[in-house]
This record gives sequence, structure tokens and C-alpha cells, in this order.
Amino acid sequence: MISNLVYEWRRLWSIRATWIMTFMYLVIAGLLGAGPLFLGDGAFGTQTWAGLYSTNANFLCLVMLSVVASQFFGHEYRYGTIRLTLTEFPKRERVLLAKTLILAVYVTISTFLGWAVLGVVGSIAPEGSIGTEGPGLNINGGEASQLWEILVFGFAYCVIAMSLTMITRNLAMGIVLPLLVFAVIENLILLFSTLAKGKMDWLVDILPFTNGTAWLTHLPESPNAGLIFASWVVGSYVIGAAMFFKRDA
Amino acid sequence: MRIEAVNLDKHFRKVHAVKNLSFVVEPGRVTGFLGPNGSGKSTTMRLMLGLDSGGGETLYDGKKLSSHKPVTRTIGAHLDAKFFHPKRTAYSHLRMLGAEAGISKARVHEVLKLVGLESVAKKRPGGFSLGMGQRLGLAGAILADPQVLMLDEPANGLDPQSIQWLRDFLKNYASTGKSVLVSSHLLSEMELLADDVVVIARGNLIAAESMPAFLSRATGSSVVVRSPQSDKLAELLTAQGIASTSDGARTIVIPGQTTDRIGEIAFTNGIALSELSPRTASLEQVFLEITESGQDYRLGETS
Repeated sequence: MISNLVYEWRRLWSIRATWIMTFMYLVIAGLLGAGPLFLGDGAFGTQTWAGLYSTNANFLCLVMLSVVASQFFGHEYRYGTIRLTLTEFPKRERVLLAKTLILAVYVTISTFLGWAVLGVVGSIAPEGSIGTEGPGLNINGGEASQLWEILVFGFAYCVIAMSLTMITRNLAMGIVLPLLVFAVIENLILLFSTLAKGKMDWLVDILPFTNGTAWLTHLPESPNAGLIFASWVVGSYVIGAAMFFKRDA
Repeated sequence: MRIEAVNLDKHFRKVHAVKNLSFVVEPGRVTGFLGPNGSGKSTTMRLMLGLDSGGGETLYDGKKLSSHKPVTRTIGAHLDAKFFHPKRTAYSHLRMLGAEAGISKARVHEVLKLVGLESVAKKRPGGFSLGMGQRLGLAGAILADPQVLMLDEPANGLDPQSIQWLRDFLKNYASTGKSVLVSSHLLSEMELLADDVVVIARGNLIAAESMPAFLSRATGSSVVVRSPQSDKLAELLTAQGIASTSDGARTIVIPGQTTDRIGEIAFTNGIALSELSPRTASLEQVFLEITESGQDYRLGETS
């Protein structure tokens, strides 16, 4: 299993795209975090540290991570290297496990680097732009559980992206589909739901990213949001894995 | 290492691409894998590697490939000259492939030097020619010095010097007791390279035997005789019921006979011979003869 992990690690970092997307992720996280602090001139209210660190969960940041996540299978199928990988490691379940573990490591490293960038941004922010009161949790007060939830949310988003790439064998689909659903389709459904006066509530209740963000923000009216979001993540992963195991390389 | 393919079978929806194929690749020999376009060679190789799902199994010294550890010391496969990420350098590509067997950096450099890619080791292979891609693929296959080499059309795009190098390399590789299975459309090259042949057409096994045995299947074997008395010899042969045809001045061709028989007749009748030689069919002739009915994508007549 160690050799599987070494293989995946080398595969991940030996292409420039990984470095570029990681760099862009950090830049975007920094800019999104700095925006309300430096440009708002108080218009956005007082930001908390937790709010600042939540920037990593912004979909623009997640898109950067999902590009790398989609490459785990997308590049393999696009350039035919999946046949080299599966010749070297005939047990596909190990290949999938190694890719998933390395993805988890990658998301963790990137997220922590993102927080480091945001920490620097917060430390040089204008006096009074970051307070201890406001939405979210008070990191200065020692409550850090929400940081782990942001990390888990980012990883879950990437698992969906990777799974869609496994299913479609198409790099672009793994990037575009989650983005489209998260940023456009779910918002349209929410809009139509409002117009439909409750007739579409059942659909709203099962939307993946609406539930994901509800879980992340601890919305009291969505107690099962985490479970529903997890079902989407696990469901897409299981379907992707089944297709990866069954189909010809 | 002995490879035994047993009842390999593969359907692509309505197409029965590989039909119950069984053959053996012996250690210490180069086995040529021949067949017309679309005959199922590449599919068979993928089945043997477990990349495609299908019927049958392939045993490497009696065990499945996944039972061998490390796999890359058991088999090295090169299936396509473009199986690499165009932005990953040749060196990084091989470092990645060396993970399973714990291949050292020094070995990566050694292999790159062997295939003549050392000067472009740090270059991204997106701009490589087909021949350079073939070399990189071969480098990946031989990286862990495996017991079995499986190569699909490795000579495509190589220049004559590289083809000769590849031939010598594969012959040397097999001579150390390792197994080599190589498919190619370059039949003249295969005739020089392969000790054994496996021939398939439309997914069916046509032949699996040694090269000499396969060549002897040709119906066109003949004897060429050059003699100042060629007309007299032709008359004598006709009298004995042996047909011959003239092939230029003082030369006759006698189909279906051996040099021993013709030499004896000439000697008995005091006919001087300037040349007495067998004309055996080339691999290409035998291949075309045997696979004629098994060609899936027939060409039109040339005018």
C-alpha cells in the first residue's frame, strides 16, 4: 500500500498544474478574505476570525481544489496512463484507496496553507475590522471545531468532483458539474421553490450543496443537512468506485 | 517466466473480439504476436494484463499477475507510444512508474541513457516524436528489469537504426531467460526477431508455433536452379512429372520440391549446376496466405 501512495504522491506533484492550481487557491483565498477587511470600509460589518477562516469554503476556492481532485482520474483516462497504473497495481481497490488518501492529504495541506494565508491577511487587516463577535465561532476563544468542518466540507466537495470524473471519465465534467450545481442550479431551484410556494420543498430538502452549507453553518432548521450531504458524497463515490472497478481500463 | 493464456474471451457488445484464445509464451524466447488490423491483438494483451474484463485467465509461472510481488519486476508492458502526461517530464514519468518496485534515481537515469533519452530527461514529452514516445514507453517497461516484456507495436515510428537496436535489445533480453511477447505489423522485422509466433485473425487463433514451423506452412516453397543446361534439366524434370517454370536466362524455378531431390536428378544426368537453392516463403507471404480470409477491414484492389 505504501508504494501505491508513493506512486500517487509522485503522480500528483510531478505536473505543473497541481502547483499552479494550489497557488491560485491560496491567492483566491487571500483575496476573498482580504476583500471585506480592506475594501469594505466597514460596509461588511465586523468580521470574525472564524468568518475569515471560512473563506476556504467559498465555492471559488473549492473550484481550485476540485480541479486537482478531478485530475486524479481525469488525467489518467485522458492520457491513457490509467493502463500503466493498473498494470503496476492490478488491485483496483488499492488504487482507489491510495487516490482517496492522497486527495485527503492534498486537501488538508491546501486548506491549512489557505488558513495560513488568511491568518497573515487578518494580522495586517485594519484595526477593528476583525472582532470577536459576529456570525460563526470565536476562534480566539478556543472553539476550533468549525475549522475541521470547513476541512471536511472541502474534502467532500473534492470527493464529489473525483467521483464524477470516475463516472464520466471526463476531467471537465468533474470540475464543471459540481460548480454548476453548487453555484447555479441549486440557486435556481431555490428561486423556483420560492415561486412554487412550497410545492418544491421536497426537492430543496435533498439538494446536496444547500444541505452541505446548511450543515457547515449549523442552520437549526436543517438538522439532517449533514446526513443528506454525506449521502450525496458517499453515493457518488460508491457509484464512481463501482464503475472504476467494473469497466475496462 | 512461462506465460499461459487460457481461453481468453472478450465481447464488445455484439462484437466477439477475442474468441477462446489459448497459447503459451515460453521463457528465453521472443514470441511475435501477429494479426491483421482489428484482429484482437491489443485486446488480448489488455486481457492478459487484467486491464479489460473478459473470459479466461492468464497465468505467469502458474499464478495470476496480481499474486506476484512486485508486479513490475514480473512484467513490463508498453501498449502505446502516447501513454504519458504531456507535461510530466520523462524523468518524473519514470520516477512515478518506479514507485512499486522501489526503483532508484540512478536506475531511472540508466534506463533513460539506454533508450537514448538522457538528453531530454527533464523535458516534457508533449513535444516528443512518435519514436521518442516509443522509447519512453519502452523505458517504462524495462525499468524494473521484469521477467516478462509485453510490447504492442513497439517499432512504430522508429527509424531503421532504432529498429535494429530494438531487435538486438529484445533478443538479448530473451537470451537471459526472460519472456518477450511483441506484436508488430512489420513482418520482415518480426521474421528477424521472433523465435515463436502467435497468429490471430478475427479473434481466432490461427497458429501458435515456432517461426520455422510457421514458415513451412507456405504452399509456395520452391527450388531455384541456375544452369547452362537449364532447358535440358527442365525436359528431364517434365519427363519425371515435375513441373518447372523459366525464371530468366538459364534459371528455372521448381515448386514443391527439395534441393536434395533436384540435385540428385541433375547429378545423375550429368548436368552442371551454377546455383541450387531453396526459395522459402517469407513471413509476409505465409501471413497473408493464412490470414487472408480473416481480415476484417479489406482493402480495395489497386489498379
